[in-house]
Amino acid sequence: MTAALAWSSAFERGAIETVVALPFADVREWAFGGSTGAGVRLAVVDSGVDGGHPRVGGISGGVAFEVDPDDEQEFHPREGPHEDLVGHGTACAAIIRSLAPDVEIYSVRVLGPNLKGRGAMLQAGVEWAVDQAMDVANLSLSSKAAAMYAPLHGIADEAFFAGTVLVCAANNLPGPTYPSQYASVVSVAATPGAEERGLFYNPNPPVEFGARGIDVDVAWADGSSITATGNSFAAPHVAGMVALMRAKHPWLTPFQVKAVLHAASENSAAG
Amino acid sequence: MVVGTGASPALGSAVEALRQLFDAAACSVALVDEEGAELAFVAADGAGAAEIVGQTVPVGRGIAGWAAMSGQPIAVSDVQADPRFARDVAESTAYVPRAILAAPLMGGDGDVLGVLSVLDPSVDQTSDWVLRVLGTGASLVALLVEGGPSAPDGDPGPGGLDVLGRDVLRVVEAWRSGDPGGSAHR
Repeated sequence: MTAALAWSSAFERGAIETVVALPFADVREWAFGGSTGAGVRLAVVDSGVDGGHPRVGGISGGVAFEVDPDDEQEFHPREGPHEDLVGHGTACAAIIRSLAPDVEIYSVRVLGPNLKGRGAMLQAGVEWAVDQAMDVANLSLSSKAAAMYAPLHGIADEAFFAGTVLVCAANNLPGPTYPSQYASVVSVAATPGAEERGLFYNPNPPVEFGARGIDVDVAWADGSSITATGNSFAAPHVAGMVALMRAKHPWLTPFQVKAVLHAASENSAAG
Repeated sequence: MVVGTGASPALGSAVEALRQLFDAAACSVALVDEEGAELAFVAADGAGAAEIVGQTVPVGRGIAGWAAMSGQPIAVSDVQADPRFARDVAESTAYVPRAILAAPLMGGDGDVLGVLSVLDPSVDQTSDWVLRVLGTGASLVALLVEGGPSAPDGDPGPGGLDVLGRDVLRVVEAWRSGDPGGSAHR
């Protein structure tokens, strides 16, 4: 398939090239067909999630990391309910809920009203998701801090081996961003189109997958909805697809999940 | 164009150029304070520029705040549908937009310095190309904020100006050539 235009800086070679996948037949049906995401635990690492939003339909728990100058780490975790400070985490959760209506969503709030310790709290949020044995974690956020390269790489590898699939939004800014840059995560950029399960593989990484993220009608703060664009809305579409396949096939490891996503991509041809 | 006391005049030129690039109602730069809790508008061009420069807003609020928190560019085309935004603008005398593009300004060490915002761009937003151009513009503005392009040792390094310069050229060439990503421009 070469018909699709280059639509994103991540896929900037003029066309979305055909990629050769493992010889799976009907991989989309095998991966997603009939699944609701039931039994899968998914962490939304973001600005909080409003479980009361009608498009989110409740969450199963969560934790908020908050700046605390008196703490040794200068932040501390607070388990239990918390609000979404902006609406963005709610947007991600509602996208995931739309794809996987029965997935268990956990809100991991690492973005707060203060930028101090931002990278360290992101790391702590991913660690929490791994410690809690989450099946999937959506990270529609990133760090460009060189100091965070190694710590985030470490926890991303740990997640990979522990079985927590990290789905990370790529960044439109020049230069590397973490954790979307790492091979151990599923990195996602936005593609045009209204298809909720639209999926493309990029043969020119580091951004590996494309999904819906342009002009998306998303849930937002105080029960509202807005129309927004960004890679951060593409990642939860893929996180939802990962939840669907892991509900049907709980034994899938993160590297197998990536192979299935590759094979399920619209520009993928079975080898 | 309006530049706050103590801010570089180059920031004024930058927001003026970016407002023209996006054919937008306004463009502004806000910087994070030392406590990491507030964004202070230091330069703006276009509608409401005189009112917004000098104002501060909490980091934990709004689209610009989210760009700073998350490190991700974002575009919202109907921002007035957000009730919190509506409450905020009710208290404001500045220009009230329908659409906002926002990108974080990242320092050389990767820390968030502030946010570049574009209000009511006239370019077609149905492509992530707009965010790509905005992100590249934000990288240049971040260099201006830091007062110069050089790394501490004077060597911009493999990830420095050289890469950034080629990135900018590629974006601008694609922008001018007609169809970089579908219909991201007019």
